[in-house]
Amino acid sequence: MLADRPPFEDLYREFLGRIYAYVRAQVATSADAEDITAQVFMNAYQAYGRFEVRNTTPAAWLFRIARNATLDHFRAHGRRERLRRTIEHQPMSEEDPAGMAEERIQYKALLQHVAKLPERQREAISLRHSGLSFEEVGVLMTCSEDAAKMLYHRALKALRESVKEQMA
Amino acid sequence: MSDEEDLELQALQRQLDDAFQTTRPRAGFEDHLWAELQVRRPWWQRVRAGIAGLVGGIRRIPAAPAGAVAALLVVAIFIGVLAQGGFHLRGGGAATSAGSPFQDEKGAQHVPAVGSGSFGRLPAPAAPGSASSTYPSQSSLALNAPLYTGPATLVWAGHLSIPVSTAPVYRFYEPTAVDADKFAMALGASPALQSSGAQELGRYSGDGFTLEVLSSTPNSREPLYVVNVTDRSRLPAPGPTPASTADSFLAAHRLSPGWPDNVTVDQSGNLMYVNYLRQFAVPGYTFAYLVDPSGTGYGLRVQLESGQPVMVTGPLPLSIESADYRIISVDQAARSAVASSTNGGGFATPPPTVRLTSAKLVYALVWAGDHSFYEPAFLFSGTFTHNGVTYVKRVLVPAVDPSQLSS
Repeated sequence: MLADRPPFEDLYREFLGRIYAYVRAQVATSADAEDITAQVFMNAYQAYGRFEVRNTTPAAWLFRIARNATLDHFRAHGRRERLRRTIEHQPMSEEDPAGMAEERIQYKALLQHVAKLPERQREAISLRHSGLSFEEVGVLMTCSEDAAKMLYHRALKALRESVKEQMA
Repeated sequence: MSDEEDLELQALQRQLDDAFQTTRPRAGFEDHLWAELQVRRPWWQRVRAGIAGLVGGIRRIPAAPAGAVAALLVVAIFIGVLAQGGFHLRGGGAATSAGSPFQDEKGAQHVPAVGSGSFGRLPAPAAPGSASSTYPSQSSLALNAPLYTGPATLVWAGHLSIPVSTAPVYRFYEPTAVDADKFAMALGASPALQSSGAQELGRYSGDGFTLEVLSSTPNSREPLYVVNVTDRSRLPAPGPTPASTADSFLAAHRLSPGWPDNVTVDQSGNLMYVNYLRQFAVPGYTFAYLVDPSGTGYGLRVQLESGQPVMVTGPLPLSIESADYRIISVDQAARSAVASSTNGGGFATPPPTVRLTSAKLVYALVWAGDHSFYEPAFLFSGTFTHNGVTYVKRVLVPAVDPSQLSS
């Protein structure tokens, strides 16, 4: 029912930053992150009439749209460029001077390590630290809650090793 | 897993939490995207939203015809406005008895209402780039190069003469829903029967437009109104220039700025933006721009599509009072600027050396809970090049004497 749904603007204001951070952890530039975030909320705005609170949480619903939009982005642009940048260890800010203007990322290096993880590990980390429960992560990644937990912990360990390697 | 490993993973999780919580888009993106969403909303969704709101209202008062509901609400608001002490277009908040209010007319000089420092100790403005602005970025004073917020070795190599030792500080109180209603009535808009967002003071509809009034976003922007044109067929033909079209629209809707401004025009695709950059008069000196947390000027913005106005975003007109405060000299400000170092966001090692070659007196919004201040500040800026890219470094130094600032 319409009355069960919060105003779309409430969702927008609450989730914009989180969705942006989730997307930003996966793409190379803030410009790409902005484009995808904009697409996410355009899609969500148009689909909001069909959103059913009793079927899913607003967070899970929005992150599903964000995940699909990010996958679409990679399908459209290919992963070659992103992989090249990852291999060359180019800092995100320097590739993206326009976006760097006002973007605030205090942990660029850490997010670059996240971006280098295998896709499912990267997603598990990004979704979990965007505030989703393991149950929600599992639903989004089409696996059980326990499998999501295991995937996340494997990803965390892989991330720790990646950080250690660079420090060494 | 050993205890040491466990602790390492916990530390990593905390860092990830921080990383995801502090990664946010550039200032202005949130409001800009919201504005785009409103503009791109298909007409049938606008109609459906309007009908849904109306039907919702009728359901809450079952036996009443829709027209009667709307009329009753208009009368109720009118009575409420009268009960609040009459109708004042610019009289949103509580004008205090501290003295005569700011003359809120274009070009008018303010009259210092009270003694020096009468607002007490003031909170200091945030450094450029240290706070996120949700106000639509309005350029001209906007950046042609990316802003660098990291640490730098700064050298003052410019010149600025400010022939005054005091400058006004302005204060306004956070508006209420009644203030929003008064503003809407002045525009000929009546309440729209829709649920409101968290920051929304009111949502209204008028002849060919909708109006939304929003409260402050802490440390980011002042109370705001957003007018969306819903029926472009009622608009007059575009004027000879974007600025003249915007002027006409604002005048017809009683939205012309009541403060000194400088008009600039930007283009993005088929959208034009006419920006009325707000200024404050500084007696004995000249006018000073209002700048956002990135050091960029802002004020009121009219968005044009195909030459016709589609949206206006501007600060809600409010009662504003002023008090004179001692300000520091340019030399003192330059010393503070050179001594400053911004944490985080740096990419160059060692930190770059930046020659600050320009400075100006500006005003910055400082939020303080149920009220906010417009405070004078010195904005220093300079550029440097790193890996072939030219960056802008800005330093905002509070102009108010440090003895009058809260620590």
